Amino acid sequence: MSTGASNPEYVNARVRSRRAAMLSDEDYRKLIRMGPSEIARFMEETEYEQEINALGTRFSGVDLIEYALNRNLAKHFDDLLEWSEGQLYDRIVRYLRKFDVWNLKTIVRGIYTDSDPEEISTDLIRAGELDDGTIDRLIEVDSIEDVIEILDGTIFAEQLEDAYEAFEESGALVPLENALDRAFYENLLEDLGRPREGPEAKYVEFLEAEIDFLNARNALRLARSGADLDPAAYYIDGGVLFDESDLNRLVGDYDALVDHIAENKRYGDRLSEALDRLRDADSLIQFEHALDAALLEYADTLSSVYPTSISPVLSFVLAKEREVENIRAIARGREVGLDENEIEEELVIL
Amino acid sequence: MALALNSFAENAVALQETAAPAGNGGPMIERGAAAALGIGLAAIGAGYAERAIGASVVGALAEDSISPGIGILLTVLPETLVIFALVALFVGP
Repeated sequence: MSTGASNPEYVNARVRSRRAAMLSDEDYRKLIRMGPSEIARFMEETEYEQEINALGTRFSGVDLIEYALNRNLAKHFDDLLEWSEGQLYDRIVRYLRKFDVWNLKTIVRGIYTDSDPEEISTDLIRAGELDDGTIDRLIEVDSIEDVIEILDGTIFAEQLEDAYEAFEESGALVPLENALDRAFYENLLEDLGRPREGPEAKYVEFLEAEIDFLNARNALRLARSGADLDPAAYYIDGGVLFDESDLNRLVGDYDALVDHIAENKRYGDRLSEALDRLRDADSLIQFEHALDAALLEYADTLSSVYPTSISPVLSFVLAKEREVENIRAIARGREVGLDENEIEEELVIL
Repeated sequence: MALALNSFAENAVALQETAAPAGNGGPMIERGAAAALGIGLAAIGAGYAERAIGASVVGALAEDSISPGIGILLTVLPETLVIFALVALFVGP
């Protein structure tokens, strides 16, 4: 944990200005009508210029777009960590460690499948807390045991060591990946306490919402697929929507699960429209997008209510992730020849 | 904050005026010194306010989203409180 005064004013001014420069609904409408190379051209004229130019010689088409998006995302989030100090840094890094989780999963998978280090490297989003040197070392090692050794001292070490035995027994990556997720989410709310009011309380509420939505998503997927998996293995502690016994009981009964979410005071109203749609249609994707949109809208509201807290940063992080996801969805959608309406369904636009 | 400090200082002067004839000897703080104190405190308040504004302005300037002129104008806005505090120096006999 870093100490010293935090500087929300400086970070928020920069973040807000970047937020304002992001793509608008209009731009998405234009992008939907373009092919992959046109999208790349379009991106070259926006803030993605640098990344497109840097990667343009090595990749083309949708790959170029995808890698440029990843790099741009990493650049922005690295900037956030560079600017922020003190408590603010602590809060931001807590959230951005999710990219560490993503990177570690990618690296572990890459080592498991004996992939080329170069190939693993292009798939990473270097936005988290782990510095480039550590990540480069992680890519180069040959065994998962070495990865765990390098990670010694980080928040992931303990959980990974426990999971490694399970991995050795079963030979499947699932225990390791769950351990990474769990280490991240458990650390998310650690030593924040449960403040009652003010920006602190809202920050905690936001993180709880994140965990709740993840649990809801997993539960719905499990209920929908009907697979005989142990729901407890996917349960993340810390939310307010489910506890572990709720989850075990509800996974078997799809309608009860939807009702349980609708009855919750905190989310019921906000998600009512999406829940109705979830009952009528069989569209899980629509519901997941509604969850994303709800979280984004919530972060936006918070950033107006508490301008000098971490909220504007959170709102920017979410919005940026959405933007990247949206552009990726459009590019991939065009590549496989979806029509415009189908692609629009895939986008999360406020 | 600066305004609060400022009015506090002015109150102190007013209090002394009513209290001075009753006590023997002069006031604890002379008139001029009280005004100086008020102005100084107001300046500290203004400085505190400018700290945050300055940080935001530098942030916004780094992103090229406002012009330097606007930035300077916004930064020195709380400085007006110090000018109000100068009034304490001139009012009264």
